[in-house]
Amino acid sequence: MKERIAIIDGVRAPFGKAGGILSGFGADDLGAVVVKELLARAELSGEEVDELIFGNVAQPVDAANVARVIALKAGLPKQMPSYTVQRNCASGMESITTAANKIQAGEIGLAICGGTESMSNIPFLYRREMVGIFTQLFRARSLMQKLKALLAFRPRFLAPIVGVQQGLTDPVCGMNMGMTAELLVRDFHITREEQDAFALESHRKACRASENGVFEQETVPLPVYPEYRNVHYKDEGPRGDQSLEALAKLRPYFDRETGTVTVGNACPITDGAVAVLVASESRARELGLNPLGYLRDYCYAGLEGERMGLGPAYASAKLFKKTGMRLRDFDLVELNEAFAAQVIANERAFSSRAFAREYLGRDEALGELDRERLNVNGGSIALGHPVGATGARLVLTLLKELKRRGREKGLATLCVGGGQGAALALEVA
Amino acid sequence: METEAFKMNVDGQGVARLVFDLPEEKVNKFSYPVMKEFLDTLDAVSKQADIKVLLLMSGKPGIFIAGADIGELAKIKDEGEGESKARFGQAVFSRLENLPFPTVAVIDGAGVGGGLECALACQYRLVSDSPKCKLGLPEVTLGIIPGWGGTQRLPRLLGLPQALDLILSGRSIDGKKAVRIGLADRLMAHEFVEDAVQDFVKELLLNSSMDRRTTRKGSVRDRFLSGTPLGRWLVYRKARQNLERRTKGKYPAPEAALEVVRETFVRGGAAGFAREAKVFAKLCSTHVSKNLVQLFYTNESLKKDAGIGDTLHPEPIRSAAVLGAGVMGGGIAWLLSSQDIPVRMKDIKWEAIAAGYAEANSYYQQMVKRRKMRPHELNVKMHRISGTVDYTGFRKVDLVIEAVVEDLEVKRSVLRDVEKRIPVNAVIATNTSSLSLVDLGEGLVHPERLVGMHFFNPVNRMPLVEVIAGPKTAQEAIAKVIDLTRRLGKTPIVVNNCSGFLVNRILIPYLNESAYMLQEGTSMERIDKVLEDFGLPMGPFALADEVGIDVGLKVALILEKAYGKRMRVADIMKAVYEEGHLLGKKDGKGFYLHKGKERTPNDKTISELAKAVQERLHTDHHDLDTDEIVDRALLCMVNEAARCLEEDIVHTPEYLDMAMIMGTGFPPFRGGPLRYADERGLSDVCRALEALQKKFGERYEPSGLLLEMERSGRRFYETA
Repeated sequence: MKERIAIIDGVRAPFGKAGGILSGFGADDLGAVVVKELLARAELSGEEVDELIFGNVAQPVDAANVARVIALKAGLPKQMPSYTVQRNCASGMESITTAANKIQAGEIGLAICGGTESMSNIPFLYRREMVGIFTQLFRARSLMQKLKALLAFRPRFLAPIVGVQQGLTDPVCGMNMGMTAELLVRDFHITREEQDAFALESHRKACRASENGVFEQETVPLPVYPEYRNVHYKDEGPRGDQSLEALAKLRPYFDRETGTVTVGNACPITDGAVAVLVASESRARELGLNPLGYLRDYCYAGLEGERMGLGPAYASAKLFKKTGMRLRDFDLVELNEAFAAQVIANERAFSSRAFAREYLGRDEALGELDRERLNVNGGSIALGHPVGATGARLVLTLLKELKRRGREKGLATLCVGGGQGAALALEVA
Repeated sequence: METEAFKMNVDGQGVARLVFDLPEEKVNKFSYPVMKEFLDTLDAVSKQADIKVLLLMSGKPGIFIAGADIGELAKIKDEGEGESKARFGQAVFSRLENLPFPTVAVIDGAGVGGGLECALACQYRLVSDSPKCKLGLPEVTLGIIPGWGGTQRLPRLLGLPQALDLILSGRSIDGKKAVRIGLADRLMAHEFVEDAVQDFVKELLLNSSMDRRTTRKGSVRDRFLSGTPLGRWLVYRKARQNLERRTKGKYPAPEAALEVVRETFVRGGAAGFAREAKVFAKLCSTHVSKNLVQLFYTNESLKKDAGIGDTLHPEPIRSAAVLGAGVMGGGIAWLLSSQDIPVRMKDIKWEAIAAGYAEANSYYQQMVKRRKMRPHELNVKMHRISGTVDYTGFRKVDLVIEAVVEDLEVKRSVLRDVEKRIPVNAVIATNTSSLSLVDLGEGLVHPERLVGMHFFNPVNRMPLVEVIAGPKTAQEAIAKVIDLTRRLGKTPIVVNNCSGFLVNRILIPYLNESAYMLQEGTSMERIDKVLEDFGLPMGPFALADEVGIDVGLKVALILEKAYGKRMRVADIMKAVYEEGHLLGKKDGKGFYLHKGKERTPNDKTISELAKAVQERLHTDHHDLDTDEIVDRALLCMVNEAARCLEEDIVHTPEYLDMAMIMGTGFPPFRGGPLRYADERGLSDVCRALEALQKKFGERYEPSGLLLEMERSGRRFYETA
């Protein structure tokens, strides 16, 4: 029998809105801070760790292979290898499942996984035309050639391409993530009111969790670089004063005429990092580490990019088939909230027998996504969605909550830009 | 021919290699016998007709020639001896200069002092880019000037501004810079020295009239500054101004060096060398030079032995924690992180930890500003620091440095607390400035691992760390702390436990006595001025402001409690803090008013407070003259220093003096308080103390050791 994959513990940075308090930190800095804290909490010197595998979506230009940079900045031994994984919004999960594969293959015994994202620092880019002029200028030998290159210049070439926006656009179907949500709104006939109500609930749950000190158990306060004048204690996203009225006032952001998806019922772009310690069950025992829980199994699934939001339904179906588990076997579910519409669409897809038959190749519906068990501490709409980090946050939050509640099994699932879904079956120790 | 220190070998092409490899020594240095041998070797070489080029090289890795044997320098008795030594060295090097074939110095390591002067007598100098390759003339730091032609050859080679910069500062430069300023002809990659030498020799043999200066033609600016009377006048004037600012007239050597260069630069020749030797001889028998040479020796022995024999080779400290993220905590975290030692910084609140980060960051920012560090290094080093409000991560540290407030109860409870959180073999260091280790260690399960580690503020500038051994402290723990201190680039001096330890115990009476003088009617500015003129970097009141009046008073009160009457805190000190609510520089208001870097005396407040104290105490009002001020301030230091020696707080007068120089800025040219006492004569010191005792009270009673030494005619330094 394959060895169980133990998840020992995890730490995350309190998330910050992009362009806000954490914008001084690079993705590598955020990652290094949480990895250091994780090592301190687990009382490891770093020499016990076989590899660091980290997820990151918008790989920073000034920190190629950001995982390696994180490892060195966190003070891990230079002999220890590290690499970065990228499965878009599932990158944080990918780091964990990659480590799981390597553990089961007997290659490593203990890994630091997680994800990091500094959406604040995703660069603005020059347009192709402008780059062309620069290239010619560098190559030009004579003054005439230089002048000729410059003559091609038009002021509009200076309008930057916003990297974040590009990153959130599917280059194959050409749709922005928001537009894919709008498509699900039409497919599943989801109203603006349903979406706003869901978003409000996400804020309420997150605020409650924050007040109850739930997130304190998984975060470490950050003295804010580079002046160190402030300390960043709490997630910046959850709004105690959020209301239906305020949400209703927002204009649709992606489809201005007929749309319903607003910045209020979508997740905001965010900075943050999460680190989790992953080990084989035997290695954990050997080191005297007490696992928080275990990764029992997982699946990734693909679907059309236009409807990428339905990734959880596809991935969960695959996972259930693989493991024989059913939705009702799970005490809690964490499903990322890219958009309120996307969660609602999944709720409907999960409960629909027709959908199951037509798209998931099974006779019965997946089951009801009971809101009492879904994202009980709020989700990305309130907390924010640092794309490379969220996957690991879902795992960490879910295991900690299961433990608090004394329950056993949890499903962490999310949708992935480009048309994928991920589903992880977790259980507490 | 084979000799002892020099080995010669001539190959078939007429390339002679003269290798200097002093037997049984780590470095090459010129003593009289070695110089003699060098001369004989050169004589022999000059007669060998088959030699086409001579390479002067070193057999020591990392060293070319470290200069003259300082032991001989220290033994020079009078001017005559000094002069003949200089003349002899000059003669040897001029023999080298006048060899009938080209000479090349191959420098792949330190070539300083006499070593560089020797290289200057060669026709060409090749230097490597090894970090160990350092060129300079540090003579002025020993209170002398270059005496083997350095003041003659260097200015002619480099032009005045560059040469004066090197000679007057005593700074050394690396190979790259040496080539840039024209001191060396070619830069070699350290790993390819042999290849580079061969290439150079090949070129030289093909073209024996190769330009002597292949690298640099004097620029217009250089030709103006060195080649015209007006230019030279400007250079000398600027150099003199800089010197006045730096030495305040206390160090004769750089001034003499400047004078020699000025007198001999234009019309040098034999007279120039003669002048150099004369001035060298005069300087090497001065007190200042003897004192500086003594300090050099003390420093050398401190590198080997911080005061416990240093025979243990402890496991190095790999990770550390700092308790308290205040100014000292942040500074210590900076220091540890700068040497890539991961450090956990603990405080009660995250806001305090952030302040500690900011403190460490400010030191790094200074380094970036001064181009001592690149911005990405700052980021990486700052990542060595992490914070916690509980003891998370402490199970993995090898050392904890406690730097919380100077309060016995607080420190004690923190120490007891932390002891439970760290591994059994971890060392606990306490950065206390005055509290006794015996008191601090009370209640610890393992008091043998408690060591005092007294850093001085600001951590980046103060070179000293007092390492305090309590009566129960284990040697192993002390050895670990010494080893770490050295790795941090600081000088550890081990002292035995007592209140105030060594530095503060001697310094506080001096500050206190200054306060007495103030409250008895002498003006604060005058006291500060007189003591600055004595050579201290700042007067006692300026110092009190710098340290923080509250901090100083706290330490003073601790000492009063420990030593009783003789350290009774002057009333004005309490008044300034309690009634005047003055804190010093950090608050902008103390004995002085501080605005940025400017300070003006806080006359009105201070004189009012002084007057009030006088009235309350009915003291006589008297205004002291300069000598009295110096005596009262300095002799109480000397007296307390003698007591420390008597009680074996530190083992030797040398270490005591060095601790005071490094810890308080006691003027190096004075050699330290005990050296100063020696210089004045112990009889004079004792009589002066007794006179003061009669006039101002018991606290001046000469210590037993002073009286005893005076009676038996001994001195603190036997050889002087």
